[in-house]
Amino acid sequence: MNRRTFVGAIGGGAVLGGAGCLTQDGDSDDADDGTLTVVTYESMIDEESAAGPWLKDAFEDEHPDVELEWELLPDQGINYYIERADQDMAIDADVYLGLNVDDLVSIDDNLADGGLFQALDGDRLDRADRVRSDLDMGDPHDRVLPYDTGYISLVYDETEVDEPETFDDLIDPEYENALLAQNAQRSDPGQAFLLWTIDAFGEDGYLDYWQDLDDNGIRILDDWTESYSGAYMEEERPMVVSYSTDQVFANEFGYDFARHQVAFLSDQGYANPEGMGIFDDATNADLAYDFFDFVLSNAAQAEIAQRNVQFPAVEDEYVDLDEEFDEYAHVPPETVSLGYDQLQGNLDRWVDDWAREFASQ
Amino acid sequence: MSLSDRVTVDRSRLSAWLERHALQLTALVTAAILVVMLYVPVGVVFVNAVLEEGGLTLGHFADVLTDPFYFGAVADVFADPLAIGTHLGSLAAWLGAVSITLSLEYPLPGIGLPVPWLAVETPGVRTGLFGFTAYQAALSTVASVALGLPAAYVLANYEFYGRRTLRSLTILPFVLPGIMVAVGFYAMFGRGGTLNSILGVVGFGPFAFIETYPLAIVILAHAFYNAPLVARLTVAAWESVDVRTVETARSLGASKRRAFRDVVVPQLAPAVLTGALLTFIFTFMTFPIVLALGGLQLATVEVWIYDRIQRLEYAEAATLAILETILSLGLTYAYLRYESAQAGFSQAASRPAREPLYPDFRTALSPRRLAIFAYGIIALVVFVGPMVSLVIGSVTDGSGLTLRNYAFLLERQLEGASFQTLPLPAIRNSLLFGAATLVIAVPMGVVLSVLTVRAGRSGTVIDTLGMLPLAVSGVVFGIGLLQGLVFGISLPGGWRLQVTGAIAIVIAHAVAAYPFVTRNVSPLLANLDPAMVESARALGASRLRALLDIELPLVANGIVAGAAFAFAISIGEFSSTVILASGSESYTMPVAVERYLGRRSGPAIAMGTLLLIVTAASFVVIDRVGGRSEL
Repeated sequence: MNRRTFVGAIGGGAVLGGAGCLTQDGDSDDADDGTLTVVTYESMIDEESAAGPWLKDAFEDEHPDVELEWELLPDQGINYYIERADQDMAIDADVYLGLNVDDLVSIDDNLADGGLFQALDGDRLDRADRVRSDLDMGDPHDRVLPYDTGYISLVYDETEVDEPETFDDLIDPEYENALLAQNAQRSDPGQAFLLWTIDAFGEDGYLDYWQDLDDNGIRILDDWTESYSGAYMEEERPMVVSYSTDQVFANEFGYDFARHQVAFLSDQGYANPEGMGIFDDATNADLAYDFFDFVLSNAAQAEIAQRNVQFPAVEDEYVDLDEEFDEYAHVPPETVSLGYDQLQGNLDRWVDDWAREFASQ
Repeated sequence: MSLSDRVTVDRSRLSAWLERHALQLTALVTAAILVVMLYVPVGVVFVNAVLEEGGLTLGHFADVLTDPFYFGAVADVFADPLAIGTHLGSLAAWLGAVSITLSLEYPLPGIGLPVPWLAVETPGVRTGLFGFTAYQAALSTVASVALGLPAAYVLANYEFYGRRTLRSLTILPFVLPGIMVAVGFYAMFGRGGTLNSILGVVGFGPFAFIETYPLAIVILAHAFYNAPLVARLTVAAWESVDVRTVETARSLGASKRRAFRDVVVPQLAPAVLTGALLTFIFTFMTFPIVLALGGLQLATVEVWIYDRIQRLEYAEAATLAILETILSLGLTYAYLRYESAQAGFSQAASRPAREPLYPDFRTALSPRRLAIFAYGIIALVVFVGPMVSLVIGSVTDGSGLTLRNYAFLLERQLEGASFQTLPLPAIRNSLLFGAATLVIAVPMGVVLSVLTVRAGRSGTVIDTLGMLPLAVSGVVFGIGLLQGLVFGISLPGGWRLQVTGAIAIVIAHAVAAYPFVTRNVSPLLANLDPAMVESARALGASRLRALLDIELPLVANGIVAGAAFAFAISIGEFSSTVILASGSESYTMPVAVERYLGRRSGPAIAMGTLLLIVTAASFVVIDRVGGRSEL
């Protein structure tokens, strides 16, 4: 670098160093201006076949005076909003799309009970009763309405192992060093699988079962991408904790179905319903209710399911899925999930005890 | 005196004043940047470690230090430090139970290659999370130095076709997001991966490399990142060796080997040790590559910090992070004491001449050339393999070759909505931020070097504190940026000072990058003969003039090497960028990679490939266009 650029750089650094922005609290725009701001996670917006753009166009077609504005969920997820509410800072968004039951538990652990989102008024919704009752998250404050669900199951290679049928099979020598799972501290399917074992063995028995899994050589990787796109797809192991929609992708991308078999342990799958809620501070609650009804309409339910590769939240009679999707997206005979009451006050401890058991040197 | 004359006089006075005070001004700006972009965000989180319901407490430290989960057997010592007899007793019992055996083992599955194996049987001692974290960091450091030094040797001493390009490309591992490294390693070393496909052609395998040696693969992945760091630091130092000192030693009768050991090695040692120190610090705070490749059994402290933050347990997270930082800064201080004791009397860099690597067939078969060839194969497997496998992954799916992932990027660019992430803005932002980072980080880093290098013990302390950006948990820094800068700092009257968007991103990158400039420049600066600057000053040159005209030209190799790191750090930075870019269009290539990652990794891998190509192209282009110093 010659010396003039060097000196120039010093000056430039000084100018940039002074940049910042002063705002006064209450600066946000509070006007009900026909804009509905919806926060959602990345793949709803940015994935190849994302449902977000379709939802925006279709909703705006139905409500010509309304603009739907997508806002990308910050990296910290629900914690971002918990922190803001905790510091009495304004939240500009109206709706949160992608709420899980553990988010609700976390909200109530850190804010006032029933905080962050409004209690939903069933009378202002026309289609709320279409939602399947087994997807109810059990929130005592009625803050959330499910719009889709996934089922956690096992995906296995039938050329290497037989279909595992029960949890006990997984600790059988036949499945030694066969299973890949995810870290429940960080990963949604990882946490769902852990909760499934708690449902099966109780909170007094799950750690013993995991000890057996450990003895049988389970490998717990970071998150779904590493364990599936990394380890499983490179044939490290013949079995992985994943989603029951696995074959939809295998079909689309020409993978060998022998390696994409779905197994439901004890004929069950663990349901991870995703829901939507209206922020306490929302300026457009009426529009939000309109949006919720729209999301539960036949057309939107089918589009969300097929684009997100998830299952609709409404009863079968209210949605028509493509035959191809029906054929490859498998629904477990029975669904399991732990609701708000069971998780409240327990979840953090369960995960923590489990993780310490595994990471102990 | 006419007005224009007066303006001229004022201007020349001003520039004289600026020239006198330029160093202090730069130092002030540097300090201001560090306060806003580093100390405040980190402080906002760290303070949680000593607060309990409004009062001060050391209880969180006591809890962590006495928890065997974190500190293993040492936790007992922390719990009851005065029971020395008990502790010595348990240490003696443990030593008594150690047994050492020598045997022949066959470590490669399926290959009958006997290796003498020294087995040390120790009774299980609980190392705790900190113990294991330090253990794997130490192994990673050894591996990174072992893989990095031969590369430095070859690049600095031999001439061959493509050497400059190869040297530019050693920066690539640095910019690759962690998730891409993990996917690349699976694609290379997995049972169905590239390496096994190649071995299969010659009738071997398949080997379950990752399954059999998860810790070794994690260490290899750490070396993938850090061996190039060691290599680049060492090459820069090697090329600054004053070859006349070697010639003097030789003319005084020293053998080639002796001259190397007594003259060259001392000039390289600071660079090698710097590389080792940085590698240890980085791999001590490694995340999330250990869990991606090794699994939860290999969890490190940083994994727990992330989890505590995620569960909003800031007190414990801050306590763990402070302990990490104390350890990193302690090591840094110890090293810097050593570095400052190495002041030399070098007067000019006159780089040694390079030998042709392949002069003729006979030389090519010499043991040294064969060893270099063998190293080349290892480097091909460890460094090139994962990246090439990643690129292959971006153009294949279950039915063979496909351009679908690139078609997706193109389509997104052409038809993407304003709320979506587009490839070109990501590329543009990355390059702009990278260039802007250079402009800020280089003066910051140089000024820190200049002010600390000959300032004795206080200089070492300041220099150590200046390394804070490398010594703070990335997770904590991220959450501090969110709470301190994105949410803003409350000021009286309901005002908040918020710092977000493009400018904040650039400054955050500069804060992360300037230590690399300092660490490249300081050893070279310390090696200069101070008499030269003193002569210039005695002849009337200002401090700035002496710096610009005498010192900086002599340490140009270090500045360029540091600048290359600064640019690469900016291109590859993810964790603070994603927080500061939230809600704006200031996303960069690594952020785009993360956002394209869904149930299918193809689009993200294609974006990761684009990241590699853009970075490679910019480094090769800058190297070709840029002057005499090499990147």
